[in-house]
Amino acid sequence: MPTIELNREDLESLLGTSLPKDIEELNGILAYVKGEAKSIDQEEIRIELKDSNRADLWSAEGLARALRGFLGLEKGLREYIAAGSSGVEVYVDSQLRNVRPYIGCAVVKNVKLTDAAIRQIMRFQDKMDQTYGRNRRRTSIGLYEFDLVKPPLRFTLAEPDEVSFIPLEFDEELTLREILKKHPKGIEYGHIIRQFPKWPIFIDSADKVLSFPPIINSNDLGRITERTKNVLIEVTGTSYQTVMDTLTNVTVSLADRGGTIYSAEIHYPYPEMNDDVTPKLDIEIMVLEVSFIQRFIGLKLSISEIVSLLEKARYGVAESSNRRITVQIPCYRVDVLHPIDIVEDIAIAYDYNRIPDEWPQLATIGKLSDETMFRDYLREIMVGLGFQEVLTYIMSNPETLFTKMNLKPSKVVELANPKIASMTCLRNWLLPSLMELLSHNVHVAYPQRVFEVGYCVVHDETRENKTRDIEKLACVNIHSNANFTEVKAQLDALLSNLGIKYYLEETEHGSFIDGRVGKVIAEDNDLGIVGEIHPQVLQNWGLENPASAFEISVDTLRKIKLKC
Amino acid sequence: MMSKIDLRENEAKVLSALKEASGSLDASEIVSKENLSHAAVMRAALSLESKNLIRIIERRIQRVSLTEEGRLYAEIGLPERRLAQALIEMGGEACIDEALNVASIKSSMSAIALGWLSRKGWGQIEKKTRRVKILKKPEEGADERLLRLLRKREALNIEDLEGEMKEAVNILRRRRLVEIDEKTKRRLELTSEGWRLVREGVKVVREVSQVTPELIITGKWKKVKLRRYNIKAPVAPIWPGKKHPYMRFLDDLKQKLVALGFKEMTGPIVEISFFNCDGLYMPQDHPAREVHDMYFVKEPKYGDLSRYKQYLENVQKTHENGWITGSKGWRYSFSSLEAARLMLRSQTTAASVRMLINKDLEIPGKYFAIARCFRPDVIDKTHLTEFNQVEGIILGEDLGLKDLLGVLKKFAIEVAGADKVKYRPDYFPFTEPSVELIAYKKGYGWMEFGGSGIFRPEVTLPLGIKVPVLAWGLGVDRLFMMKMGIDDIRYLFTHDLEWIRRAGVV
Repeated sequence: MPTIELNREDLESLLGTSLPKDIEELNGILAYVKGEAKSIDQEEIRIELKDSNRADLWSAEGLARALRGFLGLEKGLREYIAAGSSGVEVYVDSQLRNVRPYIGCAVVKNVKLTDAAIRQIMRFQDKMDQTYGRNRRRTSIGLYEFDLVKPPLRFTLAEPDEVSFIPLEFDEELTLREILKKHPKGIEYGHIIRQFPKWPIFIDSADKVLSFPPIINSNDLGRITERTKNVLIEVTGTSYQTVMDTLTNVTVSLADRGGTIYSAEIHYPYPEMNDDVTPKLDIEIMVLEVSFIQRFIGLKLSISEIVSLLEKARYGVAESSNRRITVQIPCYRVDVLHPIDIVEDIAIAYDYNRIPDEWPQLATIGKLSDETMFRDYLREIMVGLGFQEVLTYIMSNPETLFTKMNLKPSKVVELANPKIASMTCLRNWLLPSLMELLSHNVHVAYPQRVFEVGYCVVHDETRENKTRDIEKLACVNIHSNANFTEVKAQLDALLSNLGIKYYLEETEHGSFIDGRVGKVIAEDNDLGIVGEIHPQVLQNWGLENPASAFEISVDTLRKIKLKC
Repeated sequence: MMSKIDLRENEAKVLSALKEASGSLDASEIVSKENLSHAAVMRAALSLESKNLIRIIERRIQRVSLTEEGRLYAEIGLPERRLAQALIEMGGEACIDEALNVASIKSSMSAIALGWLSRKGWGQIEKKTRRVKILKKPEEGADERLLRLLRKREALNIEDLEGEMKEAVNILRRRRLVEIDEKTKRRLELTSEGWRLVREGVKVVREVSQVTPELIITGKWKKVKLRRYNIKAPVAPIWPGKKHPYMRFLDDLKQKLVALGFKEMTGPIVEISFFNCDGLYMPQDHPAREVHDMYFVKEPKYGDLSRYKQYLENVQKTHENGWITGSKGWRYSFSSLEAARLMLRSQTTAASVRMLINKDLEIPGKYFAIARCFRPDVIDKTHLTEFNQVEGIILGEDLGLKDLLGVLKKFAIEVAGADKVKYRPDYFPFTEPSVELIAYKKGYGWMEFGGSGIFRPEVTLPLGIKVPVLAWGLGVDRLFMMKMGIDDIRYLFTHDLEWIRRAGVV
């Protein structure tokens, strides 16, 4: 969910009206764009936007464009057209194919840039780079003082030590390699290109460096100020579609500040790519069936109503009949993939709260899963035996699962990207979770008897997800007289209530006292383990009372029960 | 009036013991005489005192006993005594060191031995010549007699001692040879009313506290009196076995969903990205894939999608160019390896995808799942990294937005007990339109209670589903927290057994 920060005055000037001071009232308006104001003061408004695919809303210009429609200040399509060619030609080096193959450029002339506007543009650029551009890996944006640039331009590669220029925020020349070492942006984004022998640079015909994409712009050419009138926009990246979508959005945002758009020509050396003219400002057409709209929303909307709702949502209508409406999609709405996206916008413009709701009359039979019913039965018996049910995390760590349980580590399902040290893998057995819980309750009144029915996960090569969830039941008695007899009696009560005959087989297990532990066997199945907890384990958990426990497989139990 | 006094058995025993002892006894004497516990005697005594039948006279008793050092001297004699003895044996006069040596007195004790010898007037010390001589026959003093007495007895009551001996207690105490401890002694005495009663003969009503099988079987219960208890007295706490409050809440929720016609569905904890993401039209390497963060499995990295070849192909085409769904698609090169990436289920919707391709799927159909989900969020008051999600789907011909709103309203009323609802546009990569449910409940205010939508055609068609599918999820954690009056979501998985034990039903 992107969060954007906007200058209130700048937004209101783009909007052409003032916004409510009250946050609730403001949220009423922002609901149209799936937004919610998180904070609001005299100067700044912070808005969380739910739609992570509508990049057009992440700028003050785009947000104003959409809201003007819903506020009734402007309706229908806002069309953007390139007034002509900027004369900029970009030649792409063939070696870029495996590094950063695509580029798009546009020139916007006669933009009026205030200090607030520049800040907004920088924020938008940053937001696009982070989210849409996947932290500049997929796309990155550069803006330049067009009047200082001498086309034609070249998007090429350079040896890290051969080229140097003054990067933004610096006052000395650095080589590309030095930028990666010294410049904050080089340190942050260097990983994107470091592995390549040569690195991308964007230079003009006088061999002046415009930028070192996707790292940093030149301080000479790549700095926009309040004096800047004509802006060159460049987007480079690894996905052609994303480069184009990003360029379109940045271009129309600048155009909304009074600028005129001029195109650029890109010359690709790759055989499959033709020369290209950017930015892409084409209006797309989708044909919607009226009956589909009506059925989908559940309202008998008239054609004129639909047309006016479409215009409120800033679509254009090229043609409409009783059966079909030909909708024009503005170039910046790169999120519209399917007619259903337009139908949603019609419903939003109509207002969800005005649509009469109806509980669908479908004859279906409700049912709990067999697993749930069996689990509930086990829980009922455990509660009857005096145990308190507890709830613990499936994520765990080897220290908890093995070391503290006096066991040698064995293979568990580990996470590739753990976030905290206590949650690095999935538990393969349940008892450690209960011991951990008890360790936090040393000063709570004893006796303590706890149980949980919970999932454990183990490797299983034979299954499509290479793992198996095992539902287990574990319980622990802990008090000054806890012993094997007590827990065996409880196990006995549980299994005899299920009508399952079992026996105990002597075994050895590090977590339990030797000679007071047994494997639970039923119908030739290994159900689990029962015994008195080893004093070493108690000590490891800081527990001062004896404890006895069992842990059995609910899945196996259910299978046996089904056979009986 | 007297005859109306009911006496318990122990009270009668105390009275009769007092009668035999001419009306006065220590409580401890009654304990040994009647073979009762001290507490039982005192309970009876207090009760008798309240009936004005006896008086309880408390006395502070000081008892003297030997310290460890005192016990030693009681055995071998005080140092000055041993020194005098040695001098007598040495002819009445000797060099100090020699005399101490003969008396086996350690140098650390020499000052004490010499000091007391001189203080008791038994001997005289010549400092210059370092000689010592006996002055008179050393008579046994009161201090030595007291030591002798104490050697045979554990302790003595100070008030039983004569004046000279009492003085000796103080001297020996200063020498740390004896110690004094204080005890309260309770003496019971019959009052005149008590005397009258015991002379008339005590009528005992046998009172019973614990009803025993013997009383019941023999019918003796008819003859005894069952003691009245102080039912207001506090009792020691016991904790019932019970379900976890949150699990119980989820149990109730399941019942409500079943009552609304939903069947329960399930899915695995370790999911293949295909079910968690790709099948839900979440494009690879795109912000819409990362509406939330996800955990991935370290080893093995990839699952096996060979069983789902056709679906995988459909999904791939849909992502790349929209396939037959009427969509433009995401327009990128889809990686089927990425789709096989193993991860921890991050949304219960993965179970819905599995249900849509399940051979037992019914149309029309309603399904729900309550499943553990995992997201690498920072854990705080409002976020858990592992949590339960309640989600489901409804399939049927001609379902639309008005039906989705109807479902949400039904949930708000049936599940949350809401008074009114509001709908807000929402966003999920896999639903269009998407609706957020906001419910108002008196006493709780407005709360976000659910997210929902209609599965995009790009989700349903590749999975072979040709009818609209309404998808919904409920924010039940927040509802539970509100009902429990907790504002920290971490309490759902709390280790605090005290809280779990006390938490009631909501």
